Amino acid sequence: MVLVLALAGMAGLAVLAPILARLLGRDAGYVLAAGFVAVAGLLGTAGPEVLAGEATTASWPWLPRFGVSLTLRLDGLSALFCVLVLGVGALILSYCPRYLKPEHSHGSIYFQLTAFGGGMLGLVLAGDLVLLYVFWELTSVLSFFLIGSVGARGNAPAVRALLVTTMGGLALLTAIVLVAARLGTTDLAAVLAARDQVLATPLGDTVAALVIVAAFTKSAQAPFSFWLPGAMVAITPVSAYLHAATMVKAGIYLLLRFTTVYAGQPGWSLTLLAVGLVTAILGALRALREHDLKSLLAYSTVSQLGLLVAAIGVGTTVALAAAVLHTFAHALFKATLFMLVGIIDREAGSRDIRQISGLRRVMPVTATLTGIAGLSLAGVAPLIGFVSKESLFEGFASATVFPGAGAVAAALAVAASALTFAYGVRLLYGAFAGPTMQRTLYEPSWLFLAPAGIAALASAVLGPGVVVLNPLMHRAIRDVEPWGTPPSFQLWHGFSLELVLSGATIALGSVLFLARNRVDRILRHLPEDRGAQRFEGFSAALVRLGAAVGRLDHHRSTWPYLARPVVGLVLLAGAGLGVATGLPGAYPPSRALDWGVVGLLVAAVTTVVLMRTTLGSVAALGSVGLLVTTWFITAGAPDVALTLLLVEILTAVVAAFALRGLPSRLAPVRLSGPPARRSETIRAAVLAVPAGLAAAAGTFALTGRRDPSAAGEYYLDVAEEATGGRNVVNTILVDFRGLDTLGEISVLASVALGLTLLFAGARPAAGRPAPYESLLGPAQRLLAPTIVALSLYLLLRGHDEPGGGFIAALVSGMAVALGALSGGGRFRAARGLRPAPLIATGLLVCAGVGLAVMAAGHPFLTPVKGPLGLSTSLLFDVGVFLLVLGVMVTAVNRFSLAEGFPP
Amino acid sequence: MTAAIAVGALVAAGVFLILGRSLIRVAFGFILLGHAVNLLLMAAGGLGRRGAPIIGPDGQPPPSPADPLPQAFVLTAIVISFGTTVYLLGLARAQRRGDQSDDAGSPP
Repeated sequence: MVLVLALAGMAGLAVLAPILARLLGRDAGYVLAAGFVAVAGLLGTAGPEVLAGEATTASWPWLPRFGVSLTLRLDGLSALFCVLVLGVGALILSYCPRYLKPEHSHGSIYFQLTAFGGGMLGLVLAGDLVLLYVFWELTSVLSFFLIGSVGARGNAPAVRALLVTTMGGLALLTAIVLVAARLGTTDLAAVLAARDQVLATPLGDTVAALVIVAAFTKSAQAPFSFWLPGAMVAITPVSAYLHAATMVKAGIYLLLRFTTVYAGQPGWSLTLLAVGLVTAILGALRALREHDLKSLLAYSTVSQLGLLVAAIGVGTTVALAAAVLHTFAHALFKATLFMLVGIIDREAGSRDIRQISGLRRVMPVTATLTGIAGLSLAGVAPLIGFVSKESLFEGFASATVFPGAGAVAAALAVAASALTFAYGVRLLYGAFAGPTMQRTLYEPSWLFLAPAGIAALASAVLGPGVVVLNPLMHRAIRDVEPWGTPPSFQLWHGFSLELVLSGATIALGSVLFLARNRVDRILRHLPEDRGAQRFEGFSAALVRLGAAVGRLDHHRSTWPYLARPVVGLVLLAGAGLGVATGLPGAYPPSRALDWGVVGLLVAAVTTVVLMRTTLGSVAALGSVGLLVTTWFITAGAPDVALTLLLVEILTAVVAAFALRGLPSRLAPVRLSGPPARRSETIRAAVLAVPAGLAAAAGTFALTGRRDPSAAGEYYLDVAEEATGGRNVVNTILVDFRGLDTLGEISVLASVALGLTLLFAGARPAAGRPAPYESLLGPAQRLLAPTIVALSLYLLLRGHDEPGGGFIAALVSGMAVALGALSGGGRFRAARGLRPAPLIATGLLVCAGVGLAVMAAGHPFLTPVKGPLGLSTSLLFDVGVFLLVLGVMVTAVNRFSLAEGFPP
Repeated sequence: MTAAIAVGALVAAGVFLILGRSLIRVAFGFILLGHAVNLLLMAAGGLGRRGAPIIGPDGQPPPSPADPLPQAFVLTAIVISFGTTVYLLGLARAQRRGDQSDDAGSPP
């Protein structure tokens, strides 16, 4: 419960952040920092149990079929990372108010920072791998937004960071899917407990590789490290919080979690050790070369993360313990350094290490704090960085992955640490020694300094007082490696190997510092970090490849796309013919009239194809429609025939409006003429003929060979009794399948909406009389009332005889169309009939009828008989009528207005 | 047999038109294909029984009544395809402002 409350609290803070920012401006950060502390306090209530080794959990089923649940779990390792996320988060948020400038968008920065805090907390509290993945991606996305929020110069780095980290996210997801497929669960504790099962399968190695890729991208290990220095374009709070203290530690967290499974596996250990140490040394070399303080810190972070990864790779209890402690120590001193660099940048206007020399005289407090954090980074006693560095040495020396591994690893770690010492001291030297470059500087307000001060103080106090951390560290290490006995940290180990290595580090580092001019000259030969350019090149090439692949399927014409389903149909029919044997039943014989209708139909269809004028084609198309109508009448479908007849007439009217202004002649269809035209005709014919044959064969083979369908029989039997209607087709529409009809009229309503939007710019054409106004005007005045009366009659009788809401509305549509034709551009059927109210009323009536019967205890849209033989379905039909009429009015209005488009 | 011939002729003509260059003819082709599908649905109900499915005053359906279910399908299909035809014509109309061509190959 505590865990849910904590996450909900973080979400609440994120929602509140923009509101607070509007009320308090940039000072909102203090309130949010207090919120972070409160959430930390809330989680702290579970502290005693966690330290006693009892994880707090909360769980709800999510996707039970896949063994996925919404599980939150707070154990020692999670608790350690919670301290980092919330503690550093609170410091950063209380640093923001003095750091942010008025022109920053406070609301969105605070929202994103707080949401990130929530996401990161979720990541370390997730007790289910799928949930962990969700939060993992959330942090990547928020990092993207926070980097990108600095404007145009942030775009490329933000995209690089996003692409690299989400690529790792995909690897993680794949690993999770493999694990779920093997174990049937994604519960983190269950997966870690199933160590032997995971290791026994060949998939175990794949999962390990994928987890490593995910962690390396997030924690900026070679060869993915390039995104982190680029991310330094972000504002300092973002660099300090996301890209030094927490988000980049998510990879470390993941590796620590999976250490429980993979500790001691040679592939896992060697990969982490080798990549980690290479990253550590390369990063440190690059950091030593940098003069820009933020870039220096970025490469330093890469290097320190490398040490952590390598220590996890060693996998012994001492090494893991060192990694856990150093994670904490690094977050502390690196966040401090970032905050101080931000202050120096704000005050001195420069981040160049050579520009800030002699800062001690003008900004003594800032310089002192920088010194403390810098010494902690350099690993100098008695700061916490010293304790963690010593334990790292001890850990590396314990490596046993190959004979002599301990010596090699320790030597390389000493090399990396000596480089770290060298640039740490440079930082110190820059702040303290040398001539004061800018004498007019002064100390910033204590409010600005306080967060960095607290963190620096913690670095200083927790060195000698490291024993305070032991209970939490012990618990965290036990969660990583349940079988080991975690060592206790203390400042003074006695004269041990580590102390010797520390001494060597400091000696070597001092040499590097003293000989800095020569070192700089050598470092100039170090190849540039070209990872970002290579990545850009790779991603550009990928985009080009995509374009090239897409171009194969890019056509200027519509026919290649339309041809595909036709080809598929023909192939399907061919395959069907191959396997079809022995058709059941006899085909019903055709009647004499059928042959007449079909003969005329074939002639009309041929005319449509060959007709060379638009108007002629429309006429021929109308003939086809009328012949199909006749066919429906002979087939015993009067309602269908009536509907089609009306639709054909209205289509002709709409087409007449729509085709105005189109070329009146169509290209002739013939086999002579230019070769391109000819080949088009041949191509179309070559597909059309088999398609027609296939359709004919399919119709012949698959229809009309069986008894009446059970559903049809049922409707014929019960329709009158159940609904009181004798027109079975219409009872299906309004009584039995009312929901389908409701869906159908909703489609029509959206057509009307679409037309209204399409013609939004149309205005009635200025008073131009319609060509036939003198004839059609009186005709309309005479006919319209008759038509409307007829349509109402059709509506009322629809339940028993051919008719109904659709047909009635189409008939009324005739009156509207006639009005439009007679009135030309000046016609406004909308005077009396406004489409929007008609459509809205229609939909509301239909839905209302359905809901009203629900109130009476029936299912939605059940027809209920009322007095006088009337039923709710008549009311439903009235709704259909109103809506369809509204659509007709829209169509006619809009098309008749369309002439008046602005040029 | 006649239904098969009618469906075949409508499909052949419809396919021929939609594979052409003229946008108007493409629209007409789709109308023909719509007719073809409606005929097919009706034929699926069985053309041996052709009595209109309306219950007489005596409470009995006509002798050899047609299957009402495909008719309800086709009725719905006709109204919906009318809606889409109108919308397609609207699109063609709105798109043509300033562009007098009727070439399906030219990008909008």
